[in-house]
Amino acid sequence: MLRSSRRQLSIRDFVLSYGFVIALVLVFIVYAVSTKHFLKLTNLMAILHTCAPTLIFASGLALVLMTGKLDISIGSIIFLATATGGALMTRYNVSPWIAFPVMMLIGAVCGAINGFVVTVLKVNPFITTMGSMFVLRGIALTVTTGVLVGIPDFLTDFGSARIGPVFVDFPIALVFVFLVYLLHTRTKFGRYIMAIGNGEEVARRLGVRVERVVFVAFLLSGLFASMGGILSMAQVGGVSLHMGVGLEFTGIAACVIGGISLFGGEGSFGRYVLGVLTLAVIENGLVHMGASVYAYPFVRGGIIFIAMYADTLKSLVQTKVKQTIEEPEPTGVG
Amino acid sequence: MNRPFLRMVGIKKWFPGVQALKGVDFEADQGEVLALIGANGAGKTTLMNVLGGVIQADEGEIYIQGEYADIRTPLDAAEHGIAFVHQEMALMPTLTVAENMYITRFPSRLGLINYKATKERCTQALARLGIGLDPGTKLQHLSPGDRQMVEIARALLSEPQIIILDEPTSSLTSREKARLFEVIGSLKQEGVAIIYITHLLDEVFQVCERAIVLRDGEVAGGGILKDLTYDDVVRLMIGGKEISPHFGRRTAHIGDAVLYVEGLSRRGVLQNVSFTLHKGEILGLWGLLGSGRTELARAIIGLDPIDTGRIQVRTDGSMKAIHPQEAKNWIGMITEKRREEGLLLPKSVKINVSLANLPALISRIWPLIDDKRETELAEKFVNRLEIVISSLTQPVATLSGGNQQKVVLARWLQRNPPIYIMDEPTCGLDVGVKAEIRKIIGELADAGAAILLISSDIDEMIGLSDRFLVMNRGRIVAELSAGSPKDKLMAAAAGVV
Amino acid sequence: MTSSGGLGSESVTQVQILPAMRRLSGEQIVRYIPSIVVGIAAIALGLFVPDFFTARNIINVLMQSSALGLMAIGVTAVLIGGGIDLSIPSVMALSGIFGAMYMRAGGHPVLAGLIMVAVATLIGTINGFAVAYLRMIPFVVTLSMMYVAQGACLWVTRAISVPVTNPAFVDTVMAKIWTIPVPVIFLLLITAIVTVLIGRSLHGRWLYATGTNIRAARVSGILTARVLFGTYVFSGFFAGLAAIVTTARLLSAAATMGEEGVVLSVISSAVVGGVSIYGGVGSPLGAVIGALFITLITNSMNLMHVSYYATLVIKGLIIVTVVALDSLRRRYKR
Repeated sequence: MLRSSRRQLSIRDFVLSYGFVIALVLVFIVYAVSTKHFLKLTNLMAILHTCAPTLIFASGLALVLMTGKLDISIGSIIFLATATGGALMTRYNVSPWIAFPVMMLIGAVCGAINGFVVTVLKVNPFITTMGSMFVLRGIALTVTTGVLVGIPDFLTDFGSARIGPVFVDFPIALVFVFLVYLLHTRTKFGRYIMAIGNGEEVARRLGVRVERVVFVAFLLSGLFASMGGILSMAQVGGVSLHMGVGLEFTGIAACVIGGISLFGGEGSFGRYVLGVLTLAVIENGLVHMGASVYAYPFVRGGIIFIAMYADTLKSLVQTKVKQTIEEPEPTGVG
Repeated sequence: MNRPFLRMVGIKKWFPGVQALKGVDFEADQGEVLALIGANGAGKTTLMNVLGGVIQADEGEIYIQGEYADIRTPLDAAEHGIAFVHQEMALMPTLTVAENMYITRFPSRLGLINYKATKERCTQALARLGIGLDPGTKLQHLSPGDRQMVEIARALLSEPQIIILDEPTSSLTSREKARLFEVIGSLKQEGVAIIYITHLLDEVFQVCERAIVLRDGEVAGGGILKDLTYDDVVRLMIGGKEISPHFGRRTAHIGDAVLYVEGLSRRGVLQNVSFTLHKGEILGLWGLLGSGRTELARAIIGLDPIDTGRIQVRTDGSMKAIHPQEAKNWIGMITEKRREEGLLLPKSVKINVSLANLPALISRIWPLIDDKRETELAEKFVNRLEIVISSLTQPVATLSGGNQQKVVLARWLQRNPPIYIMDEPTCGLDVGVKAEIRKIIGELADAGAAILLISSDIDEMIGLSDRFLVMNRGRIVAELSAGSPKDKLMAAAAGVV
Repeated sequence: MTSSGGLGSESVTQVQILPAMRRLSGEQIVRYIPSIVVGIAAIALGLFVPDFFTARNIINVLMQSSALGLMAIGVTAVLIGGGIDLSIPSVMALSGIFGAMYMRAGGHPVLAGLIMVAVATLIGTINGFAVAYLRMIPFVVTLSMMYVAQGACLWVTRAISVPVTNPAFVDTVMAKIWTIPVPVIFLLLITAIVTVLIGRSLHGRWLYATGTNIRAARVSGILTARVLFGTYVFSGFFAGLAAIVTTARLLSAAATMGEEGVVLSVISSAVVGGVSIYGGVGSPLGAVIGALFITLITNSMNLMHVSYYATLVIKGLIIVTVVALDSLRRRYKR
């Protein structure tokens, strides 16, 4: 089997990997030039502010994507966790020191259930998380009987707390992502995730415990979703009926823009942050351009299409060794 | 007393319908480089798979340092100090050299990977082999030769006492090969036993000291290479008989050219391949594993892309240029991997058999497939090829390998294209079925079909082919006529012409 | 199963024939499960609900299931080919909205119907192009399209439903022939036609082959990209047909027509109807029976005052369970 010789890092690769940065800069310029208030400090700070919850809740999704799987239930996990937490705090006067861990526990348990169905029952992750997306949302809506849930004041205050012009939650989110970055690049678990994304069978052959790692990835996805939900709840000031709807889509868009391949095995958290920022900038600018709120999913969809297309191109260009190690043919060959 | 370090005694292994190993005795010593040679299908990889714990022998024992070794899984093999560098490398492209090597043995502190230590160890491990790669390079940016070095370096991390290299040079440049041989030399110095599986005889004589030749699942012979010549080895590989059994192949009536291929190239895979195929002719495409024959077949049919080249087929009396994508209209391809690429396993025999001929089965009354005709034709070809089934609606997955292959043949027979490309049509089937299929191939050619035959069975090739093309590394290196002696064929393929 | 060397081929195949026959009946049983389940459900309902087995009620149920049935037919083609289309309900809503808006502006009802079908088919073409020719992942592409179409619905209507009042349109679509509404007749007819076509036509055969083993299909000369592209155009077309029926029945077109619960119903209809997520298996007839089943379940749950959210949960669980069983079955067979 002759293989192609050493691949040079071509211009094409560069564009596919970092094209979105160029796009970000361009978009930035366009907005700055054609609107009055985009470039103001308050607005830029607001962009960072809105990024914060996404940075947190999509980081778990990023880990799952890197293993080559998908989790679209995070929006519903956020809803279930925040609705429960909000209800506990306002209706039952439970202290936040208890409510927060409960919310995180809910997130982790939901993630674990996803992980179980995918690794033990071996159901396709698309179907699994689509199922849990609806099941969890349904449960949450039944439990909260569809009423808007409020949150205690201190939490709302925290949600809009500032030091000078900077919203407090953004640096906190950055620190969080940094920790996830460490998890990804500095722990065995993080490296196992990348190994599995490169090729599940190869990783298994090398001794990586694939099922265990994937299970934990889903668990973390749920856990981080609930944590991001806490922040989101604080920012918004409550939990609405539509909390979390479409957030999985935001998450996927941000990840894909940020270079995390849907095929697995690729991505870094540095670019991830840029991806989240890019998405936020684009959407923020739309408001200033006077676009209707309903244009958001539309634009988001277009962006995700382009990003996915670039992703597909990249994975076709790189002859990724996603091979199955030859099972010995039941023949005498060799 | 010099006890051989490794002893495999009386290894027998059966696969459905075939005995792959018929009682093989194999020995290797520390610090020796031992070549394990044989034609495709001789049993080399099977034997080593047993040693490496990938499969289990049906009979026989393995002794290491005089003690019985119970090896059932790759993990057992690793525990006994055996490392197997497979031909298909187990590597992760987006991870770095160090990560690939240390993925399951990172030095860590409190759960955090100690990268500094990893890099140091990695550099040392590579330096041991005389490789100066940067541990931080991502594997996707390395050449295949470098990647293989990483694979070998990883295998060495467990301080193995026995290393098995399976066709290690199939994707190396000559410089990388030289480096590999140096590495083997230094391993030898350290007392590691190296088993080198290959077909390529010039390498065997270059780097190995002793050789064991397998043929048809048995040890055909062997010895110290200094005392052997190429011819000795080739003769052991193909057997002492000069005349191979004929399959009653008739005198061929070879007509006009029906397929003309010119200058087919694809970077790294095929190089300027040109040939002509004639009506009624069976053209044997010969070569060893990795020579590019399957790649050539797939390129002609349009399953894989090509960079340059032209293809012409005969339509309406004259040769016309066609695009590879259209080739399937004239060429029936029987692929190497019938389960992955040939059959719709859960579907019935009837559906599989009619798959390539559907447009002809459309009823005249309405645009639907005529069930009666489909059934009739399916029965006709099932009978003609003597396929053993309980019913036409039986799922193909439940058939034996031989019958499955016949289903694939039946599919194309029904379509009756002017040209066939057959890639290992009798691979893995038992002797009886092999003979049946070979007969059918002969009959097809007699009826005027043009057949490009790819096979690793030299007897089969000689018995069926009217002419031979020999490939090596993506190029056609020789054209031999019918009646060429076996050893000449073997030598041509081994690159020793 | 190791046979000692030297035995001819006969003994090997004889040994294998017996298990083959046993496996044959097992497979067929599994295929008829949905019909059996629906039969049982129908009998159960017949016992508990008064007037269930009257012609009037049956026609009612069929009428309610007609739109769902049409969409289920559409998704079946995609599923058989090995893909998935999550955007069908949103596309139905969007095309319905366009048609309704056209009529509101005074357009001709027939043209409105054509517009609905055309818009939906066009979106199907985009999906098909992305999946078949750009080689993107079907789940993510159609998920994105679902959000985009949904967003477009909200954008275009500003979240206000568009009334459908054109009497010619409504009366034609909802007309009755011998007391059977047109949509029901249409559904029955088209189910029969499509089932026969997919089961016995050239393209149908190509479709099953592509979904079973795309590589083998390609080697046999089937233009698999074209086949896959066609399935998405097909599902788009049927989404358009469903739009006509739904808008006439509801007398309005709104973004809520494509809400999340609907896609769940569509997929669960197909899945319960024996169409496999993994491709190569299933028929439109089964999917329509599945649609009946899902409609019955939804009705029963409404009668039992089960909350809407709980029905989402149940449908989600149904999908995951059926797919899990399918997964296990496939693994067991190997």
